[in-house]
Amino acid sequence: MAVIEVRVTNRPFLPDPPGEEILYEIRHALGINTIERVRTARVFRFEGIDADTARVLAEKLLAEDVFQIYTIDAPIIRDARVVVEVAYKPGVMNPEAASLIKAARDLGITGLVAADSSREFGFYGPEISDRDVEMILDRLLVNDTVERVIREKPATLLISGLKGHTAVIPLTQMKDEELMDLSRDSLFLNLEEMRAIQDYFRLTGREPTDCEVETLAQTWSEHCGHKTFKARLVVNGKEKKPLLKRLQEATAAANHPLVLSAFVDNSGVMAFYDGWAICGKVETHNSPSAIEPYGGAATGSGGVFRDIMGTGQGARVIASTDMFCFAPPDTPREEIPPGCLSPHYLLRRVVAGVRDYGNRMGIPTNNGSVHFHRDFRAKPTVIVGAYGILPVERCQKGRPRPGDLAVVIGGRTGRDGIHGATFSSGEMTHRTTEVNASAVQIGHPIEEKRMADAIVAASEAGLIRAITDCGAGGFASALGEMGEETGVRVWLERAPLKYQGLKPWEIWLSESQERMVLAVAPENRDRLLEICRRLNVEATVLGEFTGDRRLLVTYGEETVCDLDMQFLHHGLPQRVLSARWQPPELEDPRLPLPENWEETCCRILGHLNVCSKEPIVRMYDHGVQGSCGLPPFGGVNGNGPNDAVVLTPLPGNPAAVIIAHGLNPVLNRIDPYHGSLWAAAEAVSNAVAAGADPAELVLIDNFIWPFPDEESLGALDRAVDACVDFVRATGMPFISGKDSLSSTYRGTGGLVIKIPPVLCVSVFGRLPDVARTVSADFKGPDHTLVLVGKRHLPEMAGSVYYDLAGYLGKNMPRIDLQTVPVVWKILHRAIQEDKILSCHDISHGGLAAALAEMCFGGQVGAHIAIPADVRPDYFLFNETAGCFLVEMAPGVDPAMAFAGIPHLVLGKTALSTEIAVERGGQPLFRISLALLKQAWQRPMNEVFGTVENRG
Amino acid sequence: MVLRTDGTNCDRETFHAFALAGGEPRMVHINQLRAGEEKLADYHILVIPGGFSYGDDVHSGKILAVELTSFLQEQLQEFVDAGKPVLGICNGFQVLVRTGLLPAARMGEIRAALIANDSGRFECRWVNLRVEDTRCVFTRGLAGRVLNLPVAHGEGKFYTGEDTLQEIEQAGQVVFRYAGPGGEPTGDYPQNPNGSLNAIAGICDPAGRVLGLMPHPERFVERTQHPNWRRHIFSEPLGLAIFKNGVDYARQI
Repeated sequence: MAVIEVRVTNRPFLPDPPGEEILYEIRHALGINTIERVRTARVFRFEGIDADTARVLAEKLLAEDVFQIYTIDAPIIRDARVVVEVAYKPGVMNPEAASLIKAARDLGITGLVAADSSREFGFYGPEISDRDVEMILDRLLVNDTVERVIREKPATLLISGLKGHTAVIPLTQMKDEELMDLSRDSLFLNLEEMRAIQDYFRLTGREPTDCEVETLAQTWSEHCGHKTFKARLVVNGKEKKPLLKRLQEATAAANHPLVLSAFVDNSGVMAFYDGWAICGKVETHNSPSAIEPYGGAATGSGGVFRDIMGTGQGARVIASTDMFCFAPPDTPREEIPPGCLSPHYLLRRVVAGVRDYGNRMGIPTNNGSVHFHRDFRAKPTVIVGAYGILPVERCQKGRPRPGDLAVVIGGRTGRDGIHGATFSSGEMTHRTTEVNASAVQIGHPIEEKRMADAIVAASEAGLIRAITDCGAGGFASALGEMGEETGVRVWLERAPLKYQGLKPWEIWLSESQERMVLAVAPENRDRLLEICRRLNVEATVLGEFTGDRRLLVTYGEETVCDLDMQFLHHGLPQRVLSARWQPPELEDPRLPLPENWEETCCRILGHLNVCSKEPIVRMYDHGVQGSCGLPPFGGVNGNGPNDAVVLTPLPGNPAAVIIAHGLNPVLNRIDPYHGSLWAAAEAVSNAVAAGADPAELVLIDNFIWPFPDEESLGALDRAVDACVDFVRATGMPFISGKDSLSSTYRGTGGLVIKIPPVLCVSVFGRLPDVARTVSADFKGPDHTLVLVGKRHLPEMAGSVYYDLAGYLGKNMPRIDLQTVPVVWKILHRAIQEDKILSCHDISHGGLAAALAEMCFGGQVGAHIAIPADVRPDYFLFNETAGCFLVEMAPGVDPAMAFAGIPHLVLGKTALSTEIAVERGGQPLFRISLALLKQAWQRPMNEVFGTVENRG
Repeated sequence: MVLRTDGTNCDRETFHAFALAGGEPRMVHINQLRAGEEKLADYHILVIPGGFSYGDDVHSGKILAVELTSFLQEQLQEFVDAGKPVLGICNGFQVLVRTGLLPAARMGEIRAALIANDSGRFECRWVNLRVEDTRCVFTRGLAGRVLNLPVAHGEGKFYTGEDTLQEIEQAGQVVFRYAGPGGEPTGDYPQNPNGSLNAIAGICDPAGRVLGLMPHPERFVERTQHPNWRRHIFSEPLGLAIFKNGVDYARQI
């Protein structure tokens, strides 16, 4: 039956916010000034109904007469110079389609077989050229990976396809070159690994199926197998233990009493209060986000939420975090390598992806940061974290028993996301966007929300024996992993599909989102299916755990995969990698003192790594769940940043979770050892500044590194050593972590771009009472200000101050692991004793930035004195982590409160609108807070085009 | 009854708010109502909490509104006609408007809309709300006060035709307005976060028993939920009174 179209748009006299948003981007991001106005319309297509029925749908569902008009099978934007329609490509799941079909059914409409929706844009302006439109489509509106321009009405909305078949790969006789040809672009295995597969099948006496080869490639991918972290390392000629082993041994040695589960489950778990436990996991989604930032970031959030949901026998997600690294948004187009997207677009779309997934799931996104460096222009770093709560009695990783059923719940399986695991393990090249188009997809947060509710209900009913999510590698990874100890038998033809035409290996490897696999005892099957049915969650018994330690997958009569679990999980040859570390040749600049302090301070505050990220935070729902006890921004006008988030996840109970993080990629270019210590110290300092007890914090590591060649691996080795030393010195263990070692870009003509190595350290912990926490906004005038912590002022390398002068520098902040734990302990005690009104950790931009931010929050000024014997610029802009600016409660003696740790009384808060600085008794400079604040807020206001400056 | 469906996500905190206010809340999934396992008539007060029901596809709250109008119109209309109070928060407000229960308390009569914020994006921030002097049962004793509550929505601009706007103004159906710190209604961003006509943040039906509002009172029922509780501005959590009023009223009937 024919396709019928309904178009809907706002009445002409009403504003069109999406159109205005696009117009803003056209002007600001693309610099095109020929467009005077943009109008948008929705296009809905239906198959199987007639025009009268479409009219009913239009009036009852699609168009609201109060503010909208509609047409049927006719244009609706008639007066624009150009009208274009952008839709998802066929096969990319449009989450709205299911709602259209449901609502039509609710309205009593029968016969509808398919529905779709898309968006139409009308461009106004007499001077518009075809080139302008092409550029707008190309750079702004159409992401080729998932979208296309519709030029004529499609004949059908149905995706047809025949059942796919399994192919046999004649692998056993292949020569080395043929093996590598097979590996390239899809398997990403090296020759030794390909030969191991060849040997296995030679011994087995048959050729592998496509499904078997793909399953091995996925399980052995860097993404899933962590080959580098498990490799034997030879560093500068000396053999060292594998990186992962060092981290795990440090955690074991720390023997922290609150840790309940470390490195074994989908997230790390620590004890909370009253029989509850909390868990945390942080993931990266760099590769998908680089080519489709919205879908990539959204599904990154979705994936890490499922890691939490799949911890123990099921957890409830209570927080979402996001840490990004991009090139500066104003990087000129010609500096962006071919095959890569503009950082302005990436930043906006990544933020939108995280926003839409978290907000819709109802998970507060309330801790994060954005970092900028030119060398993220080929591949951004997109880190997403999630935290959860679960009962202690169900917090240990479950093990399926033979006879248990493997039940898949949630969304259906499609072709989307195939090869995600192997893809993200490969380097990015100028061919990446072409070859790996199927490796990204659109997320469906409502599907995941339903599933999350079902999991909590099933968990409370005690129906879940084990659970894991279908992340990278899909069923192959989930079932392969769950069945490792037992074996598993899978009937693949039972998998619910989005459309026909998938080959068995595609069903098996598909990374369609919002699916999880549960191991359920047979006697609990019906109760589980009933819970799912009531919550509109599809659930299917896909297989059964056996006792034969084989992975046996059939599709109808066909055997598509029959592998020995031992070979699958332990057949991967351990790599022996060689690493080399040499300090880079760097020098410290000799900078004159600033002549114009006002200008210098404004440039510091307006630096991309210092400036306010409030426009981003305001788009995230950080208050949902009613749990927020310390928001990302607070203070009198809600624009003073805080260092950590404090949540009360149990309604009515003051027990709190605290979450923070730290990273500073540029420092790792100087020395990854001290850069990594800085990141860990910064993470913990952020938490302690808000009131965390350093004795009750645990850590999560995320290494996002260039491809591990000798040099990058040498850097990684030093970073891991730093983490281990940090655990030894502080007693805080890492209990979860992830590595992503593919952030190198190789273009044509020998262009190689490596990101600055990123170690992101996340930290979380518990507090008995939310009321014993502090915020960073000054609470009033005339309060004593104290700088707490140990700094060596000439350690300025990697600072924003040096960066503004065009230098990286050599002498970087070195965290003193003897002093910093004592500083945390004493500061924590002072907060508990109510001696401190506000506290802010010192990081990017140094003391000056911290002081300014505290003034903004409290709407008070400050008067501080710099000792006569130090350089005032270093004093103000040094960025040593583990130092704090503190506002003392009246009547408290700093010498008593901070006895035994380095501290310096700086001055006082003041009933004024400026910061006044003196040195050696003489005024040095004074600067208006309004001016500073404007400089601090401008960069992100420009990128995100807030209403105020649209004017 | 705390009504849930696919994409509801403020149900737990709304449940907690009613419990704190002295109610005995129960969570009910719309499937239970459709299957007849639960009946609205057995309850005294109904709340449709915030979230993204069915992903807010097509329009915010629309798919749920169509479902309620298609399957539960009679039950809902009876509940309202029986004088029982109904509260819609954020997405719940959008649903009430799209069923017709607001502003006229008549199912199927859609006379207003909550449309995309003027800023074109989701906004999460705390705003000042002036409580108007109305018949609304949820705001008894609050008239003239300025409440500080959070908004978190992308489609919250209250919009309607000139006639309806005058009608609801004259009938005293505007319960909350976005306001400056002194309580004066404002159209200025960000105090008015979405560009609502007449700064309208919440309205009730003519009888004052059906209330819908975009801000989230359930997110301020404990002192430490306010972003600035450390500054000791408030002696009590300002959202709680709305739930107490609702529960007290429901108890009398």
